[in-house]
Amino acid sequence: MDETIVRANIPQDLVKVLGVEPQTKSKAEAFTRSFLKNSIRPNSRTDPKSMLSHKAVLLEYARPKKDKSKRKSKRAKGLNARQKRAMKIFQIKPEHQRYKLFLPLHDLWRQYVIDLCNGLKPTCTPQFVQQKLLKADFHGAIITVVRSKCPSYVGATGILVQEFKHIFKIITKEDKLKVIPKRNSVFEVEINGFVSHIYGSRFEQRASERSAKKFKVRGTIDL
Amino acid sequence: MFGDLERTPRTLLVCERSSFLDEKNRLSSQVEQLHFNYKVSMLLPECSSAPSHLEAVFNSINSFYLIRKLPIHELLDKHFLETAVHQGRVSGLSYGTRIDEDNCVALMPNGHLSLSLDKDSFEVLGVEGKPSRFNQRTNSRFVVSVDLTDSSMAPGGRGYQRLVTGLKSRLQLKTDFLLSHPPGCGASLHAFLSRYDWSEHKPEIRSHTLTDLSSPLLTSDLQSCDPRRLLEWLGAVDAHVSCENSSSSFLSSLVCPEPRTRLSQALSVSVCGLLRPQDVQQLIQQIRCYLEQPRLENWVSLTVHGFVDSPVSWGGEEHGVLRGGDNFYSLLMFHDHTYQLHLATGAHDTCPP
Repeated sequence: MDETIVRANIPQDLVKVLGVEPQTKSKAEAFTRSFLKNSIRPNSRTDPKSMLSHKAVLLEYARPKKDKSKRKSKRAKGLNARQKRAMKIFQIKPEHQRYKLFLPLHDLWRQYVIDLCNGLKPTCTPQFVQQKLLKADFHGAIITVVRSKCPSYVGATGILVQEFKHIFKIITKEDKLKVIPKRNSVFEVEINGFVSHIYGSRFEQRASERSAKKFKVRGTIDL
Repeated sequence: MFGDLERTPRTLLVCERSSFLDEKNRLSSQVEQLHFNYKVSMLLPECSSAPSHLEAVFNSINSFYLIRKLPIHELLDKHFLETAVHQGRVSGLSYGTRIDEDNCVALMPNGHLSLSLDKDSFEVLGVEGKPSRFNQRTNSRFVVSVDLTDSSMAPGGRGYQRLVTGLKSRLQLKTDFLLSHPPGCGASLHAFLSRYDWSEHKPEIRSHTLTDLSSPLLTSDLQSCDPRRLLEWLGAVDAHVSCENSSSSFLSSLVCPEPRTRLSQALSVSVCGLLRPQDVQQLIQQIRCYLEQPRLENWVSLTVHGFVDSPVSWGGEEHGVLRGGDNFYSLLMFHDHTYQLHLATGAHDTCPP
């Protein structure tokens, strides 16, 4: 609309007032071109002629990027230890620290171990049971500290609620959550008459990593 | 080279000279502190038979009990604690246990119970204790010391409960036990003892008359013979080792210290058993009476040996055995109420009082 106004002829009544003469189309074009040439600073790169011609202008000069969401993500990064500690996911609230609440867990564990050892008949050899127990998970087992370099840990008994790399967290019958370091202690686990002694110093792996670990046969272990 | 010299086991000899008439003499306290005495041996020069009042003292020494396979948690039995320990002065020692190999137990008259345990037993028992002072590099022995008269060890208390469960269920400690009691307390112990195999023993008394013995010249003034040589000679006499050092015999080269005299006869008496310090005090008193009369030779020597395998020595201090666990003292008494006291210990011991 505005373009047409720009290119429209000057109305007759304004000719006398403004004192200009309407030009023909070709003359007007020539005049415009020469005017532009005089007024624009001379630049070798930009040619006024090419500038005047209609050109499609690219708004983007980059190549289109590949769609990232299509690529399979390597691994869920998860939270690092600081975030976990901040979220307190490993803490058991005091109202949950009751021995009775963990007894069903213990029953589950017994079932699990009995299934793991294919029935656990009295005719099983202790070595067979031990091999299975080495790779088993102990959450829910009732463990007792039988020997320890520190005398105050001896005699602590309870259901294992959390196993970390270096400690066991057990809940005792008096509803106390006890933290017992694995090192320099011997723990006793009993299942259907098979009593196993775990030397904590050799057991210092995360529960998840222990299932893949090979245990070397060493001589006598002294605390 | 010097490292080896530092580790040479040392023996300690404390020599003291004083008089019974001096108020500041510490003899009675020193005698009291050695709770467990095994043997008292006396040498009376120029004497053929034991004087009658000495005989009377020997007969009045209390008997002691030997209990076979006593479970040590019985010593923490409420009844036993009330009658024996808290009333006082029952003392006992484990018998037949070696201090460097087995677990040893000592119950002192002041109510302290001292357990000397090896590493495995200590780790199983689960009661607070300390590593032994005489451990070389690695902790192989531990000492659990408990005051039974303390309020924390009152029956029903937590400390008491822990020790009793430890001794009952975790570490079932059973040893032969020698028990000695003050006079008059015996009957109340019978009820306690009847549950186990026990026997009563009187201290064994042996006397020996020696003839033609060469002895050092012992006087109460300062120029007496060297303590070490004197103790060596006393030991030789007690062990019936001849000190003649004749060229035909190569068995011993022990000699009597110079200057020497010849005794026509001497009486050597030894009393073996579990003797209490009070018995030793009585003997010392009687010998003082004996010395008051003028004699041919004016001295008498009395040597008291402690137990080699006892966990405690003077004053409840820890005792151990390296090459020999001797802890003994030798008292040389003179007629003018002066005495020379030599206290000796071995390597794994603290200084005597």
